[in-house]
Amino acid sequence: MSGDSKTAKLGWLAALAFAFLFPVLCGYDKYLLHTGITIAFNIALATSLWLIWTLGFISFAHAGFMGIGAYTSALLFTSLGWSPWFGMWAGALVAAAVALVVSVPLMRTRAVYFFMASWAVGEVIKRVFAHYRETFGGWDGIFNILPPKLSLFSLEIDFASRTAYYYLALVACALIVFAIYRINRSRTGMIYWSIHESEILAQHVGIDVLKHKVIAFTVACFFAGLTGALYAHYHTYINPKTFDIWQSEFSLVHIIVGGLSTVTGPVLGASVLTIVDELLRPTGHYRIIFFGVVVILTVLFLPGGLETIPARLRALAARLRGQRKGEAQSVAAYDR
Amino acid sequence: MAFDEFTQMTLTGINLGLMYALIAIGLTLIFGVMRIIQYAHGELFMLGAYVLYYWFAALGLPYWLGVAASAITIFIFGAILQLVLFRPLHGKNILYSLAVSMGLIFILSSGGLLVFGTVVKGIPSVMSGGVMVFGAFYTYERMVISLFSAVLIISLWFFLQRTTMGMAMRAVSEDPEVSALQGINTRRIHWIAFGLGSAMAAVAGCLMGTLLSIVPTMGFGATIKAFMIVIMGGLGSVVGALAGGLILGFIDSFVTTLVSADIAYIMGFVVIFIILVFRPSGLFGQQWD
Repeated sequence: MSGDSKTAKLGWLAALAFAFLFPVLCGYDKYLLHTGITIAFNIALATSLWLIWTLGFISFAHAGFMGIGAYTSALLFTSLGWSPWFGMWAGALVAAAVALVVSVPLMRTRAVYFFMASWAVGEVIKRVFAHYRETFGGWDGIFNILPPKLSLFSLEIDFASRTAYYYLALVACALIVFAIYRINRSRTGMIYWSIHESEILAQHVGIDVLKHKVIAFTVACFFAGLTGALYAHYHTYINPKTFDIWQSEFSLVHIIVGGLSTVTGPVLGASVLTIVDELLRPTGHYRIIFFGVVVILTVLFLPGGLETIPARLRALAARLRGQRKGEAQSVAAYDR
Repeated sequence: MAFDEFTQMTLTGINLGLMYALIAIGLTLIFGVMRIIQYAHGELFMLGAYVLYYWFAALGLPYWLGVAASAITIFIFGAILQLVLFRPLHGKNILYSLAVSMGLIFILSSGGLLVFGTVVKGIPSVMSGGVMVFGAFYTYERMVISLFSAVLIISLWFFLQRTTMGMAMRAVSEDPEVSALQGINTRRIHWIAFGLGSAMAAVAGCLMGTLLSIVPTMGFGATIKAFMIVIMGGLGSVVGALAGGLILGFIDSFVTTLVSADIAYIMGFVVIFIILVFRPSGLFGQQWD
């Protein structure tokens, strides 16, 4: 696990600084800000999915939990008039609570069966939203979910403004990524990776595997729920289709293309692929085909994902200079 | 519930169940032999239906030959996919093959929309008429299709149990290294199994396309059904796929008629969830890692 070196830290700071200056740099362009917000949501979703991956499994229900957060916050706002500031946390907590209840039986299944079982959970969540028309609005979804307003003493910010919402999404996304980075760097993160490497061995050295799996899953779904609530208040309209299996799959593709071994992977993958997706938008029908081609080519020709590019370049440079051993090995380490 | 309604739903359940089982058996074969999740399985099902459509409805060539042509075309296509895309990923993390097959879904279903158009098409029926069974109307077409699916499933089972190639496939899914030591060419088995599994999906696509209608986006629905069945029955198990197919067919037929399609869908997933909680490897599955 790299990501500790000075260059990496500088890289993170530079990325954050760029993200903060981005609205000014793009001249408050509405479309570009919208892309920025989408990227922030995708990063938050992919990174929280990656947290589950550090224990060695992938959940297909992630978009479903995002949906739970979104629906909770939206319904609290539209029917009870709760402020989104509270609704957001309520959404995240409800998502986490559902995740906690579901994950105890879910964790009995292993490997491929877990993918499938979580997939079933995601579909059931979506179908429940679609079926109960009175409560959740059916396939039509929920309308008129307004963005929050902030009034601290004399300061008043209306997040209906796109620039303001961009900063809200950016702060939330940065906090989620930072929290997950800290979890991953902590002792708990080490335990997660040991479970990833070998569940049986981890159990033998005294790690309560089930407990850690349940907690990690719940925490990741908490973040997904939070992202969902922010999503709902940004788009002001949600329907079950937004939270179907494709959303989870896109997040999964973001992680795989970005890289699986450090938190850089999901962040890079989500940013790059969202940008690629937006660039391909003018090509119409061909957009999805190109997207598929990009995914396949990355997996086949860049195993380990985008995060291995610096190491690969260094290895290439080293080979050109005639000293190939060390760096070549560090690339090979990713290639598993 | 009247008795004739019950018979009608049972017949529909069996009919759907056998076709679902055909798709799922292909998937389970591919998983058992290669240990990859072929997420784009439903897209091959869709392509199979379109091959028959162009053969039979557009060119007017014989129907059953068209089913064979579709199976052969998709067999070759599947084998090529395996050789080009999935072989390099063999032995790597299952996520990589998952990502590749997701990419395939994007390419094939959107490519299908471009090439075949967005209009819903139908493969015309070759036979008409039917017979009354205990107060329920059973068309000859459905009868022939059910029989054909059953025969195909049984012959695949015999192929796996009795022939050398079938036994080699089972050996590879049991233990690839030991079977390679016994002189089995595992690479060859991989592409043959992939082609065969895809061809099963194509045949199911032809049959389903005759009974219902075809659109380029129908693949994903089939993938969902196939996965539901395969995890119910246990990955890599042919008998499990048949059992799972029938369970899902009955749920779809009964619950859709009596309650609603959404509830049938939710119920299917709830049944899967319960099965997995009590038998984490499905009804007939082995434990995989």
